[in-house]
Amino acid sequence: MKKFIGIFILVSIAAVCLNAQHREADSSVNLRRIQAQLSALQSLVDSITAVNENSSVHEEDLEAVEERMEKQFSEVENKIASISRSTAPIILNPRITTFINFAARVDNKNVLDETGTIPIHNRPFLRTVELELGAPVDPYADAVTILSVEDEAGTGFAIDAEEAYVNIKRLPIIESAPLGVKLKIGKFRAPFGINNSIHLHDLPWTTRPLPIAKYLGTEHGEFFESGFNTAGAEADFFLPSFHSSSAIEMKLALMRSGEIGMAQGTAGNNPPLVGRLGFSQEWNNEQLLLLGVSGYHEPGNHSTQLIGADVTYKWAPIEKRESRSFVVGGELFAGSRSAPDTAGRKTTIKPFGGFAYAQYQFSYWTYFGLRYDWLQEPSDAALITKAAAAYISYYTTEFLRFRLGVEHKQSDLLAPKFNNVTSIIFDVNVVFGSHPVEPYWVNR
Amino acid sequence: MKKIISLSVLMLFVSIITQPQTKKVKVVTTLNYLKYVTEQIGGNNVSVIALANPKQDPHYVTPTPRMNAVTTDADLFIENGMGLDQWAKNVVDASGNPKVQAGTSGHLTATLNVPVKELPTEVSRAWGDIHPQGNPHVWLDPLNIKIIAENIAGSLKTLDPANAAYYLNNLQHFKEQIDAAMFGEALLKAVGKKAGDILSRKTKTGELTAWLQTKKLNSKLGGWMKTAQSLAGKKVITYHKTYIYFAERFGIDLAGELEEKPGIPPPPQHRDAVVELVKREHITTILNDNFYSTEAAEYVSSKTGAKVAVTYIDVYATTETETYEGLISTLLQNLSGTVR
Repeated sequence: MKKFIGIFILVSIAAVCLNAQHREADSSVNLRRIQAQLSALQSLVDSITAVNENSSVHEEDLEAVEERMEKQFSEVENKIASISRSTAPIILNPRITTFINFAARVDNKNVLDETGTIPIHNRPFLRTVELELGAPVDPYADAVTILSVEDEAGTGFAIDAEEAYVNIKRLPIIESAPLGVKLKIGKFRAPFGINNSIHLHDLPWTTRPLPIAKYLGTEHGEFFESGFNTAGAEADFFLPSFHSSSAIEMKLALMRSGEIGMAQGTAGNNPPLVGRLGFSQEWNNEQLLLLGVSGYHEPGNHSTQLIGADVTYKWAPIEKRESRSFVVGGELFAGSRSAPDTAGRKTTIKPFGGFAYAQYQFSYWTYFGLRYDWLQEPSDAALITKAAAAYISYYTTEFLRFRLGVEHKQSDLLAPKFNNVTSIIFDVNVVFGSHPVEPYWVNR
Repeated sequence: MKKIISLSVLMLFVSIITQPQTKKVKVVTTLNYLKYVTEQIGGNNVSVIALANPKQDPHYVTPTPRMNAVTTDADLFIENGMGLDQWAKNVVDASGNPKVQAGTSGHLTATLNVPVKELPTEVSRAWGDIHPQGNPHVWLDPLNIKIIAENIAGSLKTLDPANAAYYLNNLQHFKEQIDAAMFGEALLKAVGKKAGDILSRKTKTGELTAWLQTKKLNSKLGGWMKTAQSLAGKKVITYHKTYIYFAERFGIDLAGELEEKPGIPPPPQHRDAVVELVKREHITTILNDNFYSTEAAEYVSSKTGAKVAVTYIDVYATTETETYEGLISTLLQNLSGTVR
């Protein structure tokens, strides 16, 4: 009896396993059938065990058969799991995401772009199309490429590597990085303040804040993509903090000179040092406070310095988090640019500016926000430009966002017929593909 | 600027020379149930930090500098995986900790080898926030939590081989605890050796009730399976597809969801369709995860009289859910109190 039962079960197992090997490449449906057969066999063993509790069948032999079957059972389950999970569409291929930003504006006066030559009032624009590709390079590094097609203020489109960098997380010779040091090499948005690192399509506003467009960089003004992004290398690490609910992070970068807006197109002799020291404090995953000081130092005959301070406070309740939030923040900038004049004497311009904003989320779909910008022009600190904006955003999901904003702008730079402009701006952001989670993103 | 650089270099130096010398395995988990299980397996040899708040929607946790910083010196990072805690990748990347990067022994996807459900045949955002790797809420099935515990024990053994026996012993104890909560002590004793494995298998294949009758052990059944007998075949509505593993294990029939598509709040016309469904099927209970708005559930309730049960899905969310056993017991009690 014992031998008969043992042989029967072993033959059954062998048949099932042979069957499993042949069909390894088949769909998970076949594997599930095999799993069901194994379950049935196991059930049979259980029953035999139960029936023969007091019979002559040797318990230890049955136990051994049962263990072998259990092993086969878990192997088949593992195969099912691995086949099931292999449907993830990112195997070896880069993660691909496309962003489209469309904006249309209606203005009460004629508006020219930052060059002062191209009219941009009362017309629609496809402001940017971005294609983001990201993937691990090897076990030590990840790479990101963001190719953008940017509207040149309605005169055509320019293709640009908005960002393209490698993030080195470890090296074969260093198994543990002190303080979590990471190196970023390539072209990227510089670590100055908070909002400079956010792309146009992820901004909560319809335009860039004026101080970012003017001090950090722009070609066609705040209505188009702007900010400080250039080639360089950055080290990012954590410093010891006072409490487990807080963190202190330092980012230091060496970047290409003369590309920051504050430099007004003049390059120094040395690569500038850019950095941000950030402090964050969290309360119960519900409130987040970010404080930072940033600096840009470009020595040389044409020297440029810029110091910034930023603050962001976000509240989102733990429960029903997707339908209520509040964000308030702002950034301050103080610059200094020295250059020799025609007589060889050094002249220095020291402009100052900043912006503040607040946003409240009413529901899963709807946000309302305000922003105020004020600055002294980097070309002449005696000239003031200021703007106030209000907007309402409607999201069907985080991947499709509509925004309607009204903005009023006054500038000492502008002739009266171009000054005191009130604009209504409608923009649409579309994201498709495998967009990853955004850290500190103000909207979610 | 020079002062800032000098200060940061000084702080970097201080931090290196003051690194605490600890023998505990430092574990960072995304969710709190993973923290609980890790503590059960690791005992005094581990220190565990969970990143998410247990009352928070695990899909939408905002990675912050604090999370990145606590992961910087972790020995083991444990995530649920299956697309639930996708934000974990941001934390691991930003931590700069080479020991916990994906593909290393210090990074564990805890749901490895757990049989998955709802594997989509088409991965498109037209279907809402679907998970390409299947429904990720696997831990609400007590049989799956044992697989997850095995995975965690495996990682701890690899990282700390000197204490392998200790972790295996704790794993065995944890599995026995779950078996006792699932089937009751009396039944485990009556079945004898390997009772947990045998009963788990019978439960998976749907043969438990028939087998207990054959063995004349019905009266010995206790624990969650006993509680769930009164719920068998009862229909409930849920907000999100959170409970498919839980429902299948305990024989509950999930008749529909308030969400028309996962991750997207229910549109008005779908609420009305749910009202019709509740009336037609005489459904008495709506399970609404605590982190979702109850607006839609209350609307359906006001039209049909169905009761809204606000439920928690992570350990430590409330005083009743301080343990995994408490979490499952509370869910079953919520259902027992409302399902008719």
